Amino acid sequence: MEIEGYLKKDYITNLVNESKREDGRKFDEHRKIIIDNGYVKDKAPGSCFVQLGKTKVLAGISIAVGEPFPDRPNDGVMSTSTEFRPMASPRFESGPPNEDSIEVARVIDRGIREAGAIDLKKLLIEDNLVWIVFIDIHVLDHDGNLIDAGGIASMSALLNTRLPKYEDGKIIYGEYSGKLPIARVPIPCTTAKIGKALLVDPSLNEEYAMDARLTVSTTENINAMQKGGTGSFNEEEIMACVDAAFEKGNKIRKMLKDAD
Amino acid sequence: MLNIKDRDLVVPGDLIGNEIVPDMNCYMEGGNVYSAVEGLVRVDGRKIKVVPSSGGYIPKREDVVIGVIADVLTGRWLVDINSPYICAMSGEEVSRDAAKTDLSRYYKVGDIITAKIGSVNEVYSCQLMKPWKIENGLIIDVNPKRVPRVVGKQKSMLNMIREKTGARVIVGQNGKIWIKDGNVDLAVKTIKKIEKYAQTQGLTDQISDFLDKESR
Amino acid sequence: MSGNGDLVLIKDGKRLDGRGFEELRDIKMEVSVLERASGSAYVEWGKNKVMVGVYGPRELHPKFLQDPTKARLRCVYNLAPFSVDERKKPGPDRRSVEISKVTSEALSSVVMLERFPNTVIDVFIEILQADAGTRCVGLTAASLALADAGIPMKDLVSACSAGKVNGQVVVDLMKEEDNFGECDLPMALIPKKGEIVLLQMDGNLSRDEFKEAYKLAYDGCMKVYDLQRKTLMDSMKKFVGEGGIDNGD
Repeated sequence: MEIEGYLKKDYITNLVNESKREDGRKFDEHRKIIIDNGYVKDKAPGSCFVQLGKTKVLAGISIAVGEPFPDRPNDGVMSTSTEFRPMASPRFESGPPNEDSIEVARVIDRGIREAGAIDLKKLLIEDNLVWIVFIDIHVLDHDGNLIDAGGIASMSALLNTRLPKYEDGKIIYGEYSGKLPIARVPIPCTTAKIGKALLVDPSLNEEYAMDARLTVSTTENINAMQKGGTGSFNEEEIMACVDAAFEKGNKIRKMLKDAD
Repeated sequence: MLNIKDRDLVVPGDLIGNEIVPDMNCYMEGGNVYSAVEGLVRVDGRKIKVVPSSGGYIPKREDVVIGVIADVLTGRWLVDINSPYICAMSGEEVSRDAAKTDLSRYYKVGDIITAKIGSVNEVYSCQLMKPWKIENGLIIDVNPKRVPRVVGKQKSMLNMIREKTGARVIVGQNGKIWIKDGNVDLAVKTIKKIEKYAQTQGLTDQISDFLDKESR
Repeated sequence: MSGNGDLVLIKDGKRLDGRGFEELRDIKMEVSVLERASGSAYVEWGKNKVMVGVYGPRELHPKFLQDPTKARLRCVYNLAPFSVDERKKPGPDRRSVEISKVTSEALSSVVMLERFPNTVIDVFIEILQADAGTRCVGLTAASLALADAGIPMKDLVSACSAGKVNGQVVVDLMKEEDNFGECDLPMALIPKKGEIVLLQMDGNLSRDEFKEAYKLAYDGCMKVYDLQRKTLMDSMKKFVGEGGIDNGD
């Protein structure tokens, strides 16, 4: 663990034992969420810059055309990548994604994909040609809970994504032919376990102190889950995380619709 | 001859003057003295220093620092003091037969200590001495270049904080400050305010007013 | 540079975006935009959006890379996948590696590396949205971020490009001018001495045209410098208590 971890772990744990959090939040409260859609709209067909407390994440959507997967010839294709940019933390290095970065990307991807958020059936252009949607999440400042920040930024960006014009076998960049069809809005919600306490939206310091975390991505159903960390959960705790995820999911979903 | 006056703000490359002596964070070239950082110019006779607005910590003899034990080796520990340079602490600080002692019985990896810098060599590696272990309480980060203002002339600012919040405060020159007991929240708020407005004239009085107002 | 003389890039003495030949695009600069980085800056320049984070001086691993006489300066210029029209695959490409190198060399001429032996200073330049001249924006922002981090430097570095479009030498190329013009000349200088620390060129210029382009880029760099200086000065207002210390903190 890095120096910051050691310096904060005991302090955070002691606070939790007194039912307090470092920034004064309640255990089931998110930090302040700021949503800035179209942050890089001069190039990217969709984008969203999210601040979750001090965590800052920029999601950009790129659209291409290409062949569908052979087992789903009528469906568009989506792909999610995350880059932990080295400016975001003294611990992030330049280079290919490590296991943490890959986990964040795959968990966010599952939430979006399994919910059928992007209506892939509506992305068929013609025989053997479909729209390909790239979700690229750029982590710029790490103060904890990159999954939720990245998931919220991705969904908000997708909600505001326009499909480019496709004419005579090529994409006309800068011109658009309608919105990306979105059927559902999944929102991930991560809860950290510190001792016996469950804390929604862990900050970086709380992540240093946590034994485990559970991310639950929801629409009206649960679409993805991921347990992380070396600790464990019992059934009651898991259900508490699920319930929190539904509640927070609804709240944040409304925020995204209002930010439009 | 000066191109600026005392307490002017400068950025890197700004001409400060000639026939003066560069003391800190400025440099001489072709007879002229220029600023090397963004900050506040202080003129002391013919000596010029630029008080930097920000910057990291470079170990200095006699500084009190707060660090974390990073490694336990034979006869010594390595300590992380948030500096780019290695910091070591001799086992002799706790035991006369350091080489044969299991030093992790005294301090193990992850333990937080406060100590004094005893010596610094020419590549800035330093030796710590007189350690003692810190437990509980809160450690906050303050820009190392602004820490001197939290202490104040002859500890005037620090003593005022201690008195008016009732908190125990240890200031590490390396940008880590430990706070325990008393009104910890107010102590943190105050220190953060001092950090933000570090070179404001009359800051001590303004902070005193702030503390009085908040304590009510 | 396709030098397509057919595309009209200049009409009635004005460029496609309405600018005059010596006019820079709109530029906005900000420092201290990131929480974790030692220093940071964000610059919007025309449609370019660039963020820079700086760390250091910090420990350099592996040890054999350490230089006992000075700090190493590492610079990574990176285009975000969504920053350009056609998605760019993540990871360094040859162009990014070259730009990282020339940017690092430009900064090394001013950063006082000898004050921090055995360490590394890391400069991370992220192009979030690209619209020509990104290396100049990146270098300009990097210089701000280094100052924001308190890293001692002899001077700032200010960058600006010039070029030739429809036979006319102009300053600060935008995307269409870069794609279809006849020359692109990025430049960066140390403002105090007026010495050039970055200079690249690709295209086709006569000796006289080069001198003209040089002057435009040089003047452009000095205008950028004024804005950098103002940005840093503004960022120090609270440091000296301008506006009082009690504004709702």
